[in-house]
Amino acid sequence: MAELGELLVSAVAAGCIYGLMALAYLLILRPTGIINFALGEWAMLGAFAAVAASGDLLLPALQLPHAAAFAVVLVVTGLIGALVEVATVRPLVERGAPLLSPILALLGVLVVGLQVGTLVGGTEALPSPPPFGFRRVELGPFAGTPQSYYTIAVTLGVFIAAWVFFERTIWGKRFEAVAINRRAAALMGINLRQVGLLAFAASGMVCGVVGMLAAGASGAFYQMGLPLAIQGFTALVIGGVGRVEGALLGGLILGLVEALAARYLPIPPTLVLGVPLVLLILFLLVRPTGLLKAREGGA
Amino acid sequence: MKVSGTLIRLTAGAVAIAAVSTLPALAADPIKIGVITDETGRAAFYAQPVTEGVKLAAKEINAKGGILGRQIELVIEDDGGKPDVSATKARKLVDAGVVAFISNSSSPATQQAETVSLETKTPHITPANSGETLATELKNPYFFQLGPLASTQIKTLMSYTRTRKFKKVAVVGDNSGLSKIIADVFEKSLKGNGIEVAVAEIIPMGSRTAVPQMQKVRAAEPEAIFQAGIVGPQMAQFFQAYHQLGMKQPILASFNLSIPSYLKVAKDMMEGVAFIDAYDPDKPKTKEFIALYKKEHGDEPFSLPGYGYDGLHFIADAIVRAGSTDKEKIRAAMASTKGWSGVMGAKGATVNLSDEDRRGFDPEGAVVRLIHNNNHGPAIHSGTK
Repeated sequence: MAELGELLVSAVAAGCIYGLMALAYLLILRPTGIINFALGEWAMLGAFAAVAASGDLLLPALQLPHAAAFAVVLVVTGLIGALVEVATVRPLVERGAPLLSPILALLGVLVVGLQVGTLVGGTEALPSPPPFGFRRVELGPFAGTPQSYYTIAVTLGVFIAAWVFFERTIWGKRFEAVAINRRAAALMGINLRQVGLLAFAASGMVCGVVGMLAAGASGAFYQMGLPLAIQGFTALVIGGVGRVEGALLGGLILGLVEALAARYLPIPPTLVLGVPLVLLILFLLVRPTGLLKAREGGA
Repeated sequence: MKVSGTLIRLTAGAVAIAAVSTLPALAADPIKIGVITDETGRAAFYAQPVTEGVKLAAKEINAKGGILGRQIELVIEDDGGKPDVSATKARKLVDAGVVAFISNSSSPATQQAETVSLETKTPHITPANSGETLATELKNPYFFQLGPLASTQIKTLMSYTRTRKFKKVAVVGDNSGLSKIIADVFEKSLKGNGIEVAVAEIIPMGSRTAVPQMQKVRAAEPEAIFQAGIVGPQMAQFFQAYHQLGMKQPILASFNLSIPSYLKVAKDMMEGVAFIDAYDPDKPKTKEFIALYKKEHGDEPFSLPGYGYDGLHFIADAIVRAGSTDKEKIRAAMASTKGWSGVMGAKGATVNLSDEDRRGFDPEGAVVRLIHNNNHGPAIHSGTK
């Protein structure tokens, strides 16, 4: 029982990271229809920004407190998102390019992001001490590190904020309107440019949260982006692209399946590596819309 | 004021004397020695410190008047760790007139550069590469390997393992190519020594936690854990899970943990980890090297610069023994090296080379060290007996 408690905390914390990545996809995908695979690299850049801002290796002089470092990371990755939208996506969309064009352009952004990451951070893993230290913390039957509980708490905060945004604010309604029918939304006076820009900036900020949390857990590493992009995409497919809660649900399911398979499936560890991909393929075949359906109309 | 004036005059005098004494050396052309390093690629994190050692040795030799009355001039090229580029860079060095060159980049890059040393008949050494077949794959009489072979390192770790009398162990790595190779070698050698591998686990690259894998390891109740990992974040997760799950088993690791950057990925979590190295900080020659390095750089060296330092001293020694900068004569001097010793290797270890065996590292020369206070600590075991 104690063992399951340990496993659950780490699996849920991992699932939260996947869920956040899925949310970052969703924020762009809902209003624009674009799948942005460069998200993983944004999270990687966020992790490097986190290491730099907390002053461990890149800029030893700069030793911001955690909250300030967090803010810096959000600004950096939010700007990256906005900049990418303005520089690569907007020109293509406004010239009426097919949807595939911005997706390919964003793959280019992925490569650029990876190279920038190696230039900034080098090819060694850069450690970043966890903001709340490292020890075993037991809460009832559960046991985890401060960083794993922190990850879960921050993720809940982000998802509550996203839910309030979509369900309770006029901006959220605009996003939904654009998602349901782009042309009609434009005719109703919704500024598509603003929605697009905000979607990319918000997605960038969510990637920044991921980078910050990942850096505190196992440091910043130039190759950390692609796995995050794949894990987030898998979580998105599982949970469904229609609703914010779906991203979190998909992430948690992926995290739990991964951990339970690695721990209890009586198969060689090399085969366990394939379990998340089997899950992805199963969902694409059997339930391509994911577990949670979009409300009214759908995308 | 007066005192400092005298001091200045004294210093100026000393500088003038030093300049005069090195004049004959300056009069002759310098001896060019090539270095292929990796400054930007995947081997950079070990190639760069090794090259630092080469530079330190060049400075030391030149300060003492050089060799054969001539100064040494290093010609350094960066191959980015890429085998195809490495051969091109080797050719560039030979065209620049080097009498010998050193490969500090990755083993595959060195393998490619060998085609050039063979073709151009240029003495070529690798001081640090541990690739098993570097000196046997190609019949290249101009190439010499001074670093400890991977098999020597594993045998040394197994010899240490026998002294600990483990019966049942675990092997944990990641899914990078190199880690898989190390984990395989660990498993085979452990079984060969009659030790049961109770569980072999992989922490996949990009995973966010190693708790499931380490729970499996804990449940198998091994007496020790062999760490075969390479990738930094997964190494960090291994140590985090180990501590979080309250595990106490001794950890034995590959020679990768002799690379200092790993000390930072899991700071404060690696106390007592045993790893393989080829460097004993208590050896007199090594102590001299440490003092010299400290004077130059201000901090203590890890083992990596020692490889490069030995590499250049080995070439300089061969040139002196050859009494000439003729490439054939240098090669012959290298191939007849007997009982040469440098900074690297356990106490009493020597480098021996011949035309039949161009792998010079003493089979009994590798050591097992412990990590202590986030640093590489003392050597506690050496040799394979």
